[in-house]
Amino acid sequence: MNAPGPLERIAAAGAGLATSLAGGPAWSRRRRRALDTLASRGLPGRRDENWKYLDHARIAEYPFDAPPRAETDAAALATRLLAIEDAQRIVIADGRYEPRLSDSRIADGLEVVDIGALLERDPQAALAMLRAPGEDADDRFALLADAFAAGGILIRAAPGSVISGPIYLVHVATAAAPSVHQTRVVIEAGSGARITLFEHFIAFGGAASLGNLAAELTLGEAAVVTHLRLHEHSPNAAQIETWVARLAGGSRYEQHLLALGGRLVRSNLRLALEGRGTACRLDGLFLADGDRQVDLHTEVSHVGPATETVQDYRGIAAGRGRGAFNGKIVVQSTARGANASQSSRNLLLTPLAEINARPQLEIQVDEVQCRHGATTGTLDAEQLFYLVSRGLDPETARALLTFAFCRDVTGRLPLAPVRAAAESLLAASLPDRDLMRELG
Amino acid sequence: MSGAARTILDVRDLKVRAGERLILDGLSLAVRAGEVHAIMGPNGSGKSTLTGVLAGRPGFEVLSGSATYRGSDLFAMPPEQRAREGLFLAFQYPVEIPGVNNVYLLKASLNALRRHRGEPELDAFEFLNLVRGKLAEMRMDESLLNRGVNEGFSGGEKKRNEILQMSLLQPTLALLDETDSGLDIDALKVVADGVNKLRSPDRAIVLVTHYQRLLDHVVPDRVHVLAGGKIVRSGGRELALELERRGYDWLREGTAAA
Repeated sequence: MNAPGPLERIAAAGAGLATSLAGGPAWSRRRRRALDTLASRGLPGRRDENWKYLDHARIAEYPFDAPPRAETDAAALATRLLAIEDAQRIVIADGRYEPRLSDSRIADGLEVVDIGALLERDPQAALAMLRAPGEDADDRFALLADAFAAGGILIRAAPGSVISGPIYLVHVATAAAPSVHQTRVVIEAGSGARITLFEHFIAFGGAASLGNLAAELTLGEAAVVTHLRLHEHSPNAAQIETWVARLAGGSRYEQHLLALGGRLVRSNLRLALEGRGTACRLDGLFLADGDRQVDLHTEVSHVGPATETVQDYRGIAAGRGRGAFNGKIVVQSTARGANASQSSRNLLLTPLAEINARPQLEIQVDEVQCRHGATTGTLDAEQLFYLVSRGLDPETARALLTFAFCRDVTGRLPLAPVRAAAESLLAASLPDRDLMRELG
Repeated sequence: MSGAARTILDVRDLKVRAGERLILDGLSLAVRAGEVHAIMGPNGSGKSTLTGVLAGRPGFEVLSGSATYRGSDLFAMPPEQRAREGLFLAFQYPVEIPGVNNVYLLKASLNALRRHRGEPELDAFEFLNLVRGKLAEMRMDESLLNRGVNEGFSGGEKKRNEILQMSLLQPTLALLDETDSGLDIDALKVVADGVNKLRSPDRAIVLVTHYQRLLDHVVPDRVHVLAGGKIVRSGGRELALELERRGYDWLREGTAAA
């Protein structure tokens, strides 16, 4: 007899939890609906075009039916946090807001809501606040997060507010026992608000943990959001995330994604540029070494006129690592004068490493400027020869060139401590660490 | 004792193939310490293959013959070891390496050579003093140090950067692959100056060039004409002037007739 698959285990868990989890009858109905939709659609698998590069057996290993919670070791956490000046820290442990580990001071203009507490206190408000995942094929893990929604955080910047220090949002997986945890995150920047948000994903312990994040991001008119994201999971931790973003007219959004750790990272970002002159810049860097897998998907829709996208994604695969980048840009008929550029550059360091890059452009209107390009290759032989002809050993030369490849992206990171952390994580994965450190 | 100067490079009957094509076809060349040799020849005669195969550029296959560098088999050494033993190739087309700082490469390179010789590495302060002096000699702006290697450099800046590296590393054997091509007269003089400063009784220099104008500024001890993959004529400086006057065709006819 076959062991039950993840979907069966989810259904079994859902039957019990849909009523026992917070939120009362209204949320029971919503959880039930999410589970039903999931049951009829099934979890993503190899046959889904957008999910075919992921090792689904690997996802299925995580215990979808057992959501235990463990105390976060504050001292251990402290050793992993970055020292960021003026940062306001918010810690989410295994999907739940941890006031004990978070800063109690809240900057003027900022509102922070514990979604777990809100589900208990005001389920109706929580219903309205959290997007109900829909029919989109890439929404299936978000449905899972909806069905088992237990906590997370809402961060809201009031219109016109300028939050000076960065918001440091820490996601920590305690991984005391094998577990799957669901997290909801809602970020709202009111009209004209300016925030910098740094999300740091950390996993402790040896136990296998899967974090499933369903997140929404809304920018009001002329808001400016700078978003840094560092995935630094332990080798047994996995992360799946579904971001849905809406950007109102004249707003600017900048994301820097650094997927540098964890057994598996799958990131979906669906972003709509609404209104006139709205702009986003998406930078990404992933490292899939060992037998790690990183799979990044973006879908940017140009809805408003004169909207702009700049994407620069870089990937490195080594060992038996596997990476994928799937970037889709849709220019809708209303987006006259849109400007979109997308670049995906990928580096294979070993013969068994694999990266699949798939840029897609869908243009429904004339008078737009779009360009995209994807390359996957090995290190440049002429550059390597140049370096060894200057007396550097080939290992060092290779590491230097790999590091240089990353630096275009890390060099643009707006927070110096994040840049230093990212570069030291990269250096630790490359040969000749001391040399790389000296470089920094 | 005033015996003959030691031989730095001794190439004998070298045959080299790139892909299916035979490029060097029995080339012999001996360069002794203290000498400057110029190798001239028309395009496609094998000049860059010669410097490339000596420096260890991948993509060439040595079919037969030998290259001895200071008594050791050059082809038995990987390229980084050749560099550490004092061989330097100034590239015809120096490659751009964005993300690797120029100053970093200079330091890593110099210290790799020093380690190999059992000398202590230079600290940051000593190194910077040294490199600043060299930059001034090359009339290069200090800001070039913190740019990516050759990144966005003009053609002339790239060639100067090669000479800067050379003067920092103080090679025993310098191979300059058409370093003069594409330079204006000022840059040419700076490059020639760098080469002349390197001249010493302990070193050997091989200039590969298509034109003789560099030789107005760096006076060679020997001039060789490379054609069809071998040295077809050798002589003193006057051979370069003759080539300038008559071109290469008379030599081709000459060898065909011979």
